[in-house]
Amino acid sequence: MNSIEEILWNYIDGNCTPEEQGRIKSLIAEDEAYRLKYQELLNLDKEFSAIELDEPSMAFTYNVMETIRKENAMVPLKARINKKIILGIAIFFVITLAAMLVMVFASVNWSAASAPVNLTYNFKMPVIDPGKTKIAVEGFVFFDVILALYLFDGYLRKRTSGRQA
Amino acid sequence: MQSKLSDTELIEQTLAGNQAAYADLVKRHQRFVFTLAMRFAKVREDAEEIAQDCFIKAYRSLASFQGQSKFSTWLYSIVYTTAMTFLRKKRVDTNSIDDENTIIQLENRPSAYDVNNAENKSRSFYLNQAIEQLLPDDAVIITMFYKGEQSLEEIAQALGMEANTVKVKLFRARQRLKEKLERNLKQEVKELI
Repeated sequence: MNSIEEILWNYIDGNCTPEEQGRIKSLIAEDEAYRLKYQELLNLDKEFSAIELDEPSMAFTYNVMETIRKENAMVPLKARINKKIILGIAIFFVITLAAMLVMVFASVNWSAASAPVNLTYNFKMPVIDPGKTKIAVEGFVFFDVILALYLFDGYLRKRTSGRQA
Repeated sequence: MQSKLSDTELIEQTLAGNQAAYADLVKRHQRFVFTLAMRFAKVREDAEEIAQDCFIKAYRSLASFQGQSKFSTWLYSIVYTTAMTFLRKKRVDTNSIDDENTIIQLENRPSAYDVNNAENKSRSFYLNQAIEQLLPDDAVIITMFYKGEQSLEEIAQALGMEANTVKVKLFRARQRLKEKLERNLKQEVKELI
């Protein structure tokens, strides 16, 4: 059996069914004990609603965000590197090597292979135009450096914007 | 100045990498989280540590927040578990409120009730004093119900209890708070309530 207080708290909190509400309402109107108790609890309820919240220190938000920033900064480099960038670099080098191989094979004098078998070695190194090769190698290296700088710049920009946010 | 965006919008922005959005969430909820932490720890420094820990934990787990409950309910459940862990570590004495010999921790607070100064002190002072003397569970339920805009079901969810248990606990907490107020205020309580 619920006490008067429990019944009235339920009524104040609105945790009653419509039938119960009607019954309690008439009890408050008719019964002096209920009416006084109801008034007392109502005042208490008003009082409890005025509880004051505590205020943390001024630097609270800053401290939280600073800890989060430090945690993010401490994430291992391995976890921060974008795998797509690594894949891009790998693909670039594979293509570069393939292109160089194609170029080397293209400049080989394959006619020597179809010549009659001659046990005496008459191996000729492929003739590569030193001028052309030098330009090609320098071109590849230059492109490599530009690409590497571009990717590094993109990575640094991403990191800086993350910190500023 | 606090953001006018909803909690959900701020969470989405945080997950997209905008840390400033999370700072707004912290500003919005810090007072309540700190108050809850104070209910457990009773000491400002400890409460601040708990509250900071809660926001950092919430940030780490933000991606796992499903949005099925209010962000505040989810956050308060973190406060509850963090505070309980903290108390276990600190071995804070949480003796029963019924024990008259209980020594209440009121560090960094005004000294205990002084009858002579009663008239000079505000009503909120006595109320806050009475809340500090409650058991952490009681104080938290009262605070969440009256200041956290949480329903009984949401409080139950945050504290990992049944809604009916919370209802009974709230009723008992109110009774104890009333008793504490009466005991602290003695004659003055009649004018207060």
